Amino acid sequence: MRLEKCWFCSSTIYPGHGIQFVRNDAKIFRFCRSKCHKNFKMKRNPRKVKWTKAYRKLHGKDLAQDSTFELERRRNRPERYDRNVVENTIKAIKRIEEVRVKRESKFWESRMKGKKNQERKEAAVELEQSIHLVKAPLAMQADPSLTLPKVPEQIKVKVAKKQAAQAMQE
Amino acid sequence: MVLYNFKKITVVPSGKDFIDIILSRTQRQTPTVVHKGYAITRIRQFYMRKVKFTQSNFHEKLSTILEDFPRLDDIHPFYGDLMNVLYDKDHYKLALGQLHTARNLVEKISKDYVRLLKYGDSLYRCKQLKKAALGRMCTIMKRVSPSLAYLEQVRQHLSRLPSIDPNARTLLVCGYPNVGKSSFINKITRADVDVQPYAFTTKSLFVGHTDYKYLRWQVIDTPGILDHPLEDRNTIEMLSIMALVHLRAAVLFVMDLSGACGYTIQQQAALFQSIKPLFANKPLIIACNKTDLQPLESLPEEDRRLLDELAKEAAQSSSLMLVDGAQEAKECLLTMSTLTDEGVVAVKNSACERLLQHRVEVKMKSKKIKDVLNRMHVAFPRVRDHKERPPSIPEAVLAKMKQTEQPLTRKQTEKDLENANGGAGVYSASLVKHYLLADDDWKNDIVPEIMDGHNIADFIDPDILLRLDELEREEEEREAAAEGEDEEMDEDELGPEEMEALTAIRKKKKLLLEEHRRKKRAADNNPVVPRKFDKDQQFTAGRMGRHLASLGLDPSRALERARSRSASRRGRKRDRSAAGEDGDAMDIDQPNKRFRSTSRSKSRAPSETRPGEGYKDSAQKVKAMKIGKKAVRKRNKQARKGEADRTIVNLKPKHLFSGKRSSGKTDRR
Repeated sequence: MRLEKCWFCSSTIYPGHGIQFVRNDAKIFRFCRSKCHKNFKMKRNPRKVKWTKAYRKLHGKDLAQDSTFELERRRNRPERYDRNVVENTIKAIKRIEEVRVKRESKFWESRMKGKKNQERKEAAVELEQSIHLVKAPLAMQADPSLTLPKVPEQIKVKVAKKQAAQAMQE
Repeated sequence: MVLYNFKKITVVPSGKDFIDIILSRTQRQTPTVVHKGYAITRIRQFYMRKVKFTQSNFHEKLSTILEDFPRLDDIHPFYGDLMNVLYDKDHYKLALGQLHTARNLVEKISKDYVRLLKYGDSLYRCKQLKKAALGRMCTIMKRVSPSLAYLEQVRQHLSRLPSIDPNARTLLVCGYPNVGKSSFINKITRADVDVQPYAFTTKSLFVGHTDYKYLRWQVIDTPGILDHPLEDRNTIEMLSIMALVHLRAAVLFVMDLSGACGYTIQQQAALFQSIKPLFANKPLIIACNKTDLQPLESLPEEDRRLLDELAKEAAQSSSLMLVDGAQEAKECLLTMSTLTDEGVVAVKNSACERLLQHRVEVKMKSKKIKDVLNRMHVAFPRVRDHKERPPSIPEAVLAKMKQTEQPLTRKQTEKDLENANGGAGVYSASLVKHYLLADDDWKNDIVPEIMDGHNIADFIDPDILLRLDELEREEEEREAAAEGEDEEMDEDELGPEEMEALTAIRKKKKLLLEEHRRKKRAADNNPVVPRKFDKDQQFTAGRMGRHLASLGLDPSRALERARSRSASRRGRKRDRSAAGEDGDAMDIDQPNKRFRSTSRSKSRAPSETRPGEGYKDSAQKVKAMKIGKKAVRKRNKQARKGEADRTIVNLKPKHLFSGKRSSGKTDRR
């Protein structure tokens, strides 16, 4: 048994899952789910579909090159079984995995580095430019701060009784 | 080798038929029309042709007959004598001779008459000459008609003769009538000869075929022979004699020991003696038949002696070199019973064997044998010296041979294991035990394949620890490098109040956007609803006030103004009307004065021009209105033909009804 990678989205396919297609030139295409299979049948290029691993690696969204990846690769030369080697390997796998996860998070962090600043800058600009939507310019003259105007709890409108009486008289 | 097959001789027609055939052929195959007025040469030619044609037909027909019948001198003497006996040689020759003469005579007649025809001076005379010629030819044929009849008889009999090959290996069965010759041939061949309990059942020669030593043998059954001088013999007996004389065959002299045939053993012995000269130089076997009635052993003494003598003579006559008289004699005398099949095959085999031997002996004596022997050579290697040359076997092989003699302790195989552990279906062979691993304890390890979503096989590497160390070092370096860099924040964060404002702004924007999109979707298809039907209270003063207040404005003045403009503020409609104003002071003197409600705007005539309409005066406007009304008026056509009606403009267009047209072009061209 082996865990295979989906041809389209590069996710891991556990035994008993997915579907595989063998082309008449004997190339095998494995798919983790019908979504990937359908996309393949639609002749979509996984490098151009945003949710695939291929796209993310190609566009620098994910860690693409790392020494931890070098350690995991398919070996086509059969090795004779050695208990010690397997034991060491299993121990090593755990450590390698830790390192990999760490590096990936680090990568993400570095990728997101300027994001917050940028957002703040944009927010300040937006606030300044669009304040008129929530605060009338007249109110701004009275209170130039970029905050919401203070609204009295009850708006009471005085109605001139005199006028009303006049109207009645007419 | 000449095969004697007389079945292919053509039919000989009788004299009358012969003439009819020839004359009708002349009539059919030569011209028939001739006139007096033709040139005489043409007439002569016409009749000459008839005469010559008839003659050639006669010649052709007679020639085929003469060629088809065998000439007695040319065929095998056996057949020659056979035909002499059966058909009388003289008669046969005479008949053929007559035909030959007739052929010559016909030729001569035709020659004569052709010559005469050359001098024929009229059609009549030519015709007479032709008639005379054909008549004479027919007369000749009529004269030979008895010969033709005889030849036809001969032909029919010849075609039914058995096809005996005189040179083949042959067994000839002879003896007194009714001794069992035909029964014998029926037993050993597939021939079906009639067998009856009376003398002379077989009246002619019969041939059957049998196999011995993968060779084909013909067995000839002959009619019985009686013991009297040659001159007294009848035709049937003569057939047997002819066969005995001319065929180089093994002769089976069949005797009836029981005497059931009506002849005693003495009589049969006498016959043997009388025809003995015919057996010279032929293998001869005396077959004593009907042993089921009279066994050989219980034969009277003198009969027995007679038989022995016969056997001795038979042995003498048959064998050219006397090897052992007594032995030979015993072999010549055989017993059989065609009723019980006892000894039949033995007789056949012995006869065949003797004939084969005889034929070889004859061949060896002939002159030609030297040519054959010269070509044959059988090699015998000569002994070079007296040295021993035993087979040489290497030491190692000998040792191994010795070793294999001892029982081996056999290697235990999987098969043995299977039998020891419950047999087939129960025992499952372990493949693990043949693994070649550094430690035997590892053989039964269960190797994990998958861990944490990874294939362990992908990581297996003998120097995995080294690699891991490398990775650790790399990681340390990286972390050390990462400590230095801090995250710096350039921009100040907005305060909570500002954030509140921003959220409000964003919310507002969102609403605006939604509204805009809704309108865009509706695409100028919004219902225009009068404000008085404003169900949702969208346009109320209160709402306006709240909105303005939320923007930070004081809404009081705006609200005041709005309410002041409101109609309801000015009292009831009745109070507001003009009539109400001065109801009691109605002026009748001013009938033209128009009463109008204060709410109603001043009405105008349509023709009245207003500035900005673009008309010079009201007359022009009226005219324009008239024209406009006319333009939009729907016309009533009163069921007249119009351009929208379906029409057939031309019922018979000229181009479709003139000129040539090919298939399928009646309605378009």
